[in-house]
Amino acid sequence: MEQYQPATDDEAASPDQNSLQTLKELGQVTTPEAPEPQEIQPFHCLNIIGQIEGHMVLPPRNKTTKYEHVIPQLVAIEQNPKIEGLLIVLNTVGGDIEAGLAIAEMLKTMKTPTVSLVLGGGHSIGAPIAVAADYSIISETATMTIHPIRLSGLVIGVPQTYEYLDKMQDRVIRFIVQHSNVKLEVLRDMMFRTGELVRDVGTVLVGQEAVQVGLINEVGGLGLALSRLSHLALQQRNGGIQ
Amino acid sequence: MMVLYTVVPLEDVMEGIEEDPAATMELSMGGLTLEVETLGGFRAKVVRVLSTDPAHFLRPHSQPGAIIRMDTF
Repeated sequence: MEQYQPATDDEAASPDQNSLQTLKELGQVTTPEAPEPQEIQPFHCLNIIGQIEGHMVLPPRNKTTKYEHVIPQLVAIEQNPKIEGLLIVLNTVGGDIEAGLAIAEMLKTMKTPTVSLVLGGGHSIGAPIAVAADYSIISETATMTIHPIRLSGLVIGVPQTYEYLDKMQDRVIRFIVQHSNVKLEVLRDMMFRTGELVRDVGTVLVGQEAVQVGLINEVGGLGLALSRLSHLALQQRNGGIQ
Repeated sequence: MMVLYTVVPLEDVMEGIEEDPAATMELSMGGLTLEVETLGGFRAKVVRVLSTDPAHFLRPHSQPGAIIRMDTF
């Protein structure tokens, strides 16, 4: 192995250091340095991409946002006084309902100002996460699919399963209604609407439509998201939000 | 839900879909977590940066695709 080669011309350096030097000069490997604490940025960014992974590890082909990565990061952000705001960038197809709701609840109860930005797609369980932020923004071309919860590929055989799913459904609906300006009847109507989604029920909201129904606060992009976050951070500094 | 909109033929996009992707592991150091693919000989290729700190994504040494020495972690 490279690093155990004895030093030849450079006598001052230990064999290990010397080989490291050589490797650096050859440009074959790089040595990462530990992040320095003073480099902390005022605004952090949390990406919610692909499937939201919870109780089950999804096959490696899936791009996933993992519960065990996100939750400790949120705790760390909340505890760090130097972090003044969190931008949540969503481009998710949905995923584990319990992991999704857990992330949403964590975001909702954070004192650190949060702004969510839906880019591309914020489907299914992405909707509660988007509305959990203090302020939500959707890009003009981003879409959000509002549809009922189901067990993919399984036929609901017993009434108990149906009742359980119905309860899960209510948790999501209640959360979205509580944390956005969308009306309960409007949300239920969009969720169970037939005809818009091929072979299925639900509604696809594109950019402005999500704002019109009251789900999202504003249409915009990164610039707007950061300026809203700066504003919230300033409010927080001057004595807290709400 | 994935919709592809590309001029590249589907068989080219999906090439290698049947093969198992390389196994990855996570390395953590001072608040920065990297998902890496091990290459043997204490070397690893960065697959993904797992951090909420935007500054971590600007570090040239931990950019996805960079080869790092695992014994420094």
